[in-house]
Amino acid sequence: MDELFTYYDMFASKGPEYLIIIGFFIVIVAFWTFVNMSTER
Amino acid sequence: MAGEKLNLVDVVPEKQEGPSFKRISDFIDFIKKELKPRGNIATPFNLISLPIMLLGYVLIVLRLAYGLGQPITNLNQQYPWGLWIGFDVVTGVAFAGGAYVLCFIVYILRVEKYHAIIRATVLNGFLAYLFYAGAIVLDIGRWWNIYNPMIGNDFGVNAVMFLVAWHFFLYMLAELVEFSPAIAEWLGLRRLRKILGIMTLGAVVFGITLSTLHQSGLGALMMMAKSKIHPLWYTEFIPILYFVSSIFAGLSMVIFEGSITHKVFSYQVDASHHEHYNDILVGLARICSVAMFGYFFLKVLLVVHEHAVQYINSPMGYWWLFEVIGFILVPCFLFASGAQQRNMAMIKFAAIITMVGIILNRLNYTFLAYNWYVPLSEKYWPSWIELIITASIILTEVWAFRWMVNRMPVLKAPPAWAVEKEH
Repeated sequence: MDELFTYYDMFASKGPEYLIIIGFFIVIVAFWTFVNMSTER
Repeated sequence: MAGEKLNLVDVVPEKQEGPSFKRISDFIDFIKKELKPRGNIATPFNLISLPIMLLGYVLIVLRLAYGLGQPITNLNQQYPWGLWIGFDVVTGVAFAGGAYVLCFIVYILRVEKYHAIIRATVLNGFLAYLFYAGAIVLDIGRWWNIYNPMIGNDFGVNAVMFLVAWHFFLYMLAELVEFSPAIAEWLGLRRLRKILGIMTLGAVVFGITLSTLHQSGLGALMMMAKSKIHPLWYTEFIPILYFVSSIFAGLSMVIFEGSITHKVFSYQVDASHHEHYNDILVGLARICSVAMFGYFFLKVLLVVHEHAVQYINSPMGYWWLFEVIGFILVPCFLFASGAQQRNMAMIKFAAIITMVGIILNRLNYTFLAYNWYVPLSEKYWPSWIELIITASIILTEVWAFRWMVNRMPVLKAPPAWAVEKEH
């Protein structure tokens, strides 16, 4: 049975990349809000 | 609507109708008249630029006659790509990217706000391709064979340069078609203007398709030098980096060039354009900031993906951080802050920093981070002849741009008959 199951540790292979992309999607929302916030002089 | 059209035609004075050519000699006389300089010739800009250009032309002839070796260029077998390919071609094409981005916004997304600057941007893009991409002739050892990819004399379809050559050629034609209504209006060719106006949308779609491919194609060119480019810059995703960076590089050029043009040719621009110009800059700054934000994350992501993080704590790593933080992250927030506060000075400053960053990025790929293991004393630095020829090409483009803006309806309103046709 053991040979039929292959365990992929997501964080050992592509962990940081996933976290950067998830981080990007979170931060882009805040950034977009910042860009569109009008503080006209 | 019909009444409005009639009225519009009725109020047009005869002198605004444009030239009419009954004989070929009329056309030749008109061109002769247009070729003559207008206004004061002895301006500081002319007095400085003319000698540089003339010297550049002589040096171009020498380069074509004597080849790429010493003393014309400092290129060698270690450094086959220098200032001409790094700055004139690769950077120049990135700066010309504003045309395809703005055409997409105006003609495909139908955002009319930017319509006022579309002709100046397309003209700038067309001339950039003509002069900077044209400068590729100087980089080719056997320059007299440049037509080979076009005529099928050994097509070389596997080469990235084959794609780049055809794309440059086709994109120049597409940009010429996009700009051609202005030429037809200048010459008073009404029927041709109508046909060219219909062709514009097709040329725009074709041009955008070509741009996405050859902007990334130039990045693909760099992938040939995997072992020579520093791991912090080398990634298999260079084409995507080149494409994304061309969006904000091109728009920064639009902001920079547009601001100068707006000031120098302010007498040609109508009052409503003056009024809305700041809105245009704010909109462009927003697009730049978001594109740069995405690009920054892409750069970080790819360094992690390529397992190059270990190189950050090294002299080349500090250089990479200088580029990424100083010329991507900082201008990104300057654009965002400038758009938020409607601070035009900040937006223009951010555009200049972005342009310097793009030059730095492209030169990193072609010779700064290229052969990075070679000692600084053995590195390639451009010769004075390379610098003068580059300056000469840029100044010639500026002269051509000025000549066309002064004669054709680029910034000034088109003739009434052309406006009437558009409705």
